[in-house]
Amino acid sequence: MEDGKLSRGPMIAITLLRVVVGWHFLYEGIAKLSSTSWSAAGYMKQARGPFADLFRWLAGQPNLLEYSNLITMWGLTIVGVLLMLGLFSRLASLAGIGFILLFYLANPPFVGYFYSLPMEGSYLVVNKQLVELFALVVILVSGSGRFAGLDRMVHRLIARRPRVAAASAPARVEPA
Amino acid sequence: MAGDEKDKDKARSAAEGPRRMDRRDLLLGLSTVPALGLFGYAWQKQRQYERAAREAAAAPQQAAAADVQTVNVALIGAGAQGQVLTDAMLRIPGLRFRAVCDVWTEYNQRRVVNMLSRFKHEANGYEDYREMLDKEKELDAVVIATPDFWHARHAIDCLKAGKHVYCEKEMSNTLDGARSMVAAARDTGKLLQIGHQRRSNPRYLHCYEKLLGEAKLLGRIVTVNGQWNRAVAADLGAPDRYVIPEARLKQYGFKDMHQFRNWRWYKGLGGGPIVDLGSHQIDIYNWFLGSNPTRVMASGGLLYHDPKTHEWYDTVMAVYDYDTPAGPVKAYYQTQTTNGSQGYFENFMGDQGTLLISESELNYAGRVYRDPNAPAWDQWVQKGYLTAPKIQEVQEKAEESSAILDVRESASPDEHKVPVVLRDPYHQPHLQNFFNAVRGKAKLNCPAEIGYESAVTVIKVNEAIDAGVPLSFKPEDFKV
Repeated sequence: MEDGKLSRGPMIAITLLRVVVGWHFLYEGIAKLSSTSWSAAGYMKQARGPFADLFRWLAGQPNLLEYSNLITMWGLTIVGVLLMLGLFSRLASLAGIGFILLFYLANPPFVGYFYSLPMEGSYLVVNKQLVELFALVVILVSGSGRFAGLDRMVHRLIARRPRVAAASAPARVEPA
Repeated sequence: MAGDEKDKDKARSAAEGPRRMDRRDLLLGLSTVPALGLFGYAWQKQRQYERAAREAAAAPQQAAAADVQTVNVALIGAGAQGQVLTDAMLRIPGLRFRAVCDVWTEYNQRRVVNMLSRFKHEANGYEDYREMLDKEKELDAVVIATPDFWHARHAIDCLKAGKHVYCEKEMSNTLDGARSMVAAARDTGKLLQIGHQRRSNPRYLHCYEKLLGEAKLLGRIVTVNGQWNRAVAADLGAPDRYVIPEARLKQYGFKDMHQFRNWRWYKGLGGGPIVDLGSHQIDIYNWFLGSNPTRVMASGGLLYHDPKTHEWYDTVMAVYDYDTPAGPVKAYYQTQTTNGSQGYFENFMGDQGTLLISESELNYAGRVYRDPNAPAWDQWVQKGYLTAPKIQEVQEKAEESSAILDVRESASPDEHKVPVVLRDPYHQPHLQNFFNAVRGKAKLNCPAEIGYESAVTVIKVNEAIDAGVPLSFKPEDFKV
């Protein structure tokens, strides 16, 4: 997306949004990494809603659970850093959307679901996870990283090389 | 039109070639990097805060630690229970971890050694406890949290090597094993504490010493009931890359990895739920009643779980007869592992009151009910032994519901709370008692002899289920 499609004010606002969402991801990841015994099993076992069986099954598979734990801890951390830096921000936004979608689906506040755990607010279908998810959708489509972020520099570096040159470069011939 | 503008733009950029990176690109490109620095700063602050909070929690203990003799400790068995004990020990002043022994070197051993190093304990990892005893000459005490069928060998060899031992319950899976442990403790003169940790829990001590001993609030105890209801739990597994090679599993007495992880369910290795859960609570029956049972009848079986991977009984119901100094008592206990409702508690019922108690701080943490015909408890409330009663509004409710309070129905008793809360991990006071005893400043709350009495009481339940008839205890059964 070219800058200029959105004017400067909204782009600054979306960039701030990207930084705070990234901050949240980064700390969620780091907090899990620095805990001695964090595992996603507890969260998965408490799953409710249409996908509850899937999450509970996953919690009972030691191999898959180990991968899930590693992917969650490192994934959240990396997505957080990338969002904050504005590096590969579209890829990071998509990955972030994927993570939040999984968290949301494990405990969705759908109609008719009641939770015994006290929640700090009142939710019907939409909760804060979903709001953060849609914040990432805004970041995804706005190209905020190319407005203010390392993506801008990456983009320039790549764009500096004329495409024709790359296309017409002679294929290297290995000596026989 | 906007479209025309865009086309013009494109044409211009094509003519000029790609735009070079300018200062604006550099500034905007790096504009959000400082946020990462800010994050790093906030994270550092948060870590400092957490460290300070941890140190503040340990401050009174640290102050005491100054004049406390350092005890060098090793852990044998770094599984789930070993972890629980380690977490509690890290809060006890004056301990220095020297070694961690676990045959699951790939996972448990490494995990606990790494965790200890984060708390500045340099512990060496061992697979073979004998090698550990050979090399770690400066050890004072060993904490054992291995599967039950290893307890006797581990404890006896450690005692003979001159170490004091804290051994998890059940003391042993066989009475022969348990007896030889008592003998080894006597022969060596070293301390052997068995991990019935309720014996050091301040709430249980308060109830035993003050409510039952001094105030005799319950009057004549005639019946006891207790339970541990636990929900279905999936079998424990292990990721493929941490699986122990078969030769090593066999060497340490396990058929395969599943058995290694789920040893509590196998005959010859553990004792099943009645031993894992029941022994904690039946031990309290013996303690609070001040005597050992004379008879037990029991029913149970493997009603729910897969018999291919579960040998012990998932459901057990037992009734003990006691002949206490105050008179005969019947005590019921049940454990089932298919539904966790109403959790776990012990309930002592006398002609003047009821004591409902649990190790859990969340449920049944200590309630005393005064029977309407008991003498007033005001003096005990004034002394702070109990909270003031919550009056049951039975009369009002009965009127509301237009039901008549039948003359045969007893009025509900007043409910008092036991005002003792344990804010530390459940096992900490019992470990603290052990280490105080190691330093010569306390008597063990659960020495080998008491652990043995408890083992005799509990292991008999499994025998009674198999026998299908009541089994008797002789007083000498409890002696070594």
